[in-house]
Amino acid sequence: METVPLTHILFVSTALFCIGMYGLFTRRNLITMLMAIELILNSVNINFVAFNKYLYPYKLDGIFFVIFIITIAAAEAAVAIAIIINQYRTHQSIDVEDATELKF
Amino acid sequence: MNALIFSAVSGVIMMFSSFLLNNKNSVRVLAHVLLLATIIANIFELRGISFFHIDTRGMLEFDRFALLFTLVANVCTFAFFLLSSRDLEKIGNHYSDYFSLLFFILAGIVVSSSFKSLLMLFLGIEILSIPLYILTGSDKRNLKSNEASLKYFLMGSFSTGLMLMGIALIYGATGTFQTGITVAEKVPVLLITGMMLLLFSMSFKVSAAPFHFWTPDVYDGAPTVVTSFMATVVKAAGFIAFMRLFAEEFGSIRPEWKLLVGIVAAVTLFIGNITAVFQQSVKRMLAYSSISQAGFMMLAIYSLSNDAKEGLILYAAAYSLATIGIFAVLVRMKDYTFEGFNGFAKQQPFLAGILVVFLLSLAGIPLTAGFLSKFYMLKATIDGGSLALAIFAVLMAAVSVYYYFRLIQSMYFKTGNATISGTTTGFKYTLAALAGITILLGIFPNLLTNWLYF
Amino acid sequence: MGITQILFWILAITAIFSALMVVISKNPVYSVLWLIVTFFTISGHYILLNAQFLAVVNIIVYAGAIMVLFLFVIMLMNLNKETEPQKSKWLKLAGAVAGGCLLLVLVAGLRHTEKQMTEMVTGDIGLIQNLGKVLFKDYVVPFEISSILFLSAMVGAVVLGKKEPRIPVETEMRKVEETQQAINI
Repeated sequence: METVPLTHILFVSTALFCIGMYGLFTRRNLITMLMAIELILNSVNINFVAFNKYLYPYKLDGIFFVIFIITIAAAEAAVAIAIIINQYRTHQSIDVEDATELKF
Repeated sequence: MNALIFSAVSGVIMMFSSFLLNNKNSVRVLAHVLLLATIIANIFELRGISFFHIDTRGMLEFDRFALLFTLVANVCTFAFFLLSSRDLEKIGNHYSDYFSLLFFILAGIVVSSSFKSLLMLFLGIEILSIPLYILTGSDKRNLKSNEASLKYFLMGSFSTGLMLMGIALIYGATGTFQTGITVAEKVPVLLITGMMLLLFSMSFKVSAAPFHFWTPDVYDGAPTVVTSFMATVVKAAGFIAFMRLFAEEFGSIRPEWKLLVGIVAAVTLFIGNITAVFQQSVKRMLAYSSISQAGFMMLAIYSLSNDAKEGLILYAAAYSLATIGIFAVLVRMKDYTFEGFNGFAKQQPFLAGILVVFLLSLAGIPLTAGFLSKFYMLKATIDGGSLALAIFAVLMAAVSVYYYFRLIQSMYFKTGNATISGTTTGFKYTLAALAGITILLGIFPNLLTNWLYF
Repeated sequence: MGITQILFWILAITAIFSALMVVISKNPVYSVLWLIVTFFTISGHYILLNAQFLAVVNIIVYAGAIMVLFLFVIMLMNLNKETEPQKSKWLKLAGAVAGGCLLLVLVAGLRHTEKQMTEMVTGDIGLIQNLGKVLFKDYVVPFEISSILFLSAMVGAVVLGKKEPRIPVETEMRKVEETQQAINI
């Protein structure tokens, strides 16, 4: 029997989720922050596929959710890039700590 | 389904109108006509006549609660269009695109207020959020607007990540995305963890404390017209989705989350009201007041009774109409601080009187819709078994009177030269009509809530 | 230890290592490259989990489209190691503690999941034919609704990305107004 227990896969995805969170909180470069968000979304995707395969193997719900997440992540990335470029045009920098107009 | 298809198609039409119509006035008129058509279609569906028969495989359910809220949201948006659509022009060069984004947001509101499947909740919330990120950043020459949209995007997508993780865990526990879970005597840990993550992410979306920290900055940085829409219709839609989620999906495990939601509501009320007292800018004060009103709406989720449902609809209408009215005046003011309103009553006695009605409604003074909606919430909370929370909410409402009356005070009892531009007669009459509706709903709330049953 | 298990361990360790590298490498270009490695390992997991179509889509959409977009933006903005700002040590520590706490909580929660075993890499449920049938039977409505999202993202990219023609007088007026406001506040 060539098997891997479900918990192992869930641990991998949880680790990726937390690494993504760590990246989101500690990086200041907007592009890297965006990458951290993509990591978070991908870890969720692994979760969905694993649950689908292990617990409910004769349905496709999990896989479809992943497809929708991927499409929406693509749309979100496009909008994010537009916002970041806008920010770069005005500040000449994409350091999140240079965005200080709203602090008072 | 009517409202969904109508608003989506209207969005597409508005998209094309940018090069078919080169006159801004006709673009505006077209937007009004399309929204009116959406409202009429929605009323038809509320009366049981659906134009489209689409099998959604149980993913969307257009019950009366969802339809009525859609109606409220559409009517509030119509009021917003009537009052502020001229001010949208000042944001930038993409006039018709702003309208199309607003229509897409309306479509998202329909989806997120009538979902029956967690997939639809996710799609609806995303359709709500993404156009808002864009609208927040649409004033490109303004640095503040850029940063606000950036902040909003980062916070929003992080909370989306949390929500997705929650949905994944719930899927693992139940094996389905359809709402309405049934649990055995022992609730699985996966379900609890997923529920917590969903609670956090929805609190982010509706800016309930302690997840509210992005709200003041984003509301302050966004173009004022957009803030007006964002703080009212969209926030109310978030609450409807929140309520639907917790009533239908997690209704059967209520003991697990009731205390937590109560704490969130109390903290939100406290932080929102106390910080609003210290604000100098009216726009920021309204942002914090929107947080404190969110605390009141959280009470509906805490109690989840029929009263709470009626109350939430009434609250959404009362709060949205009043805030849209105040913002519509604020947009035209030159100075957004409290001092900017000094002597406003001398110059514009009519407008000042109407503003007083809105402020009283927000503060919850009797004879206005705000009072009755707060009353419904408190009644539901007391019936739900928490007298302490209700008393705390009343205390906080008393605090809120301070900062609303501060605006009235600077309008009536201080001298200064408040400057407002572009007040046409039509604008004044529309505001007066809104104030009339606010008072009417405060006396006969049944006019609205009866639609839930008949 | 069978071949599947060995593959799983290799993929899991590579995935976590490369994800860590994404977050800690100083140069954003390296971050993107490590992220692409992560996506490939995740696709490997999908294949092991019998979702072949998803594996392909993941590579095409993420590694192929989104990452190339990121790389373009990074090149366009001329970011490199020197320009990469660093946050303070304490903030990093706080981030690590927050991430670690969440990890602990989630792991504690997941530990109780029943030790479900299943035969990996068998079955054809994740193939394109089955997916297509279900997509256009059960999932048509969300499929159509997500098109609204795409339209709005498209409009948004145009609204935000297009350069505003700057009218000198107007911008000046605006600046004056802004300073006025700043003084008042």
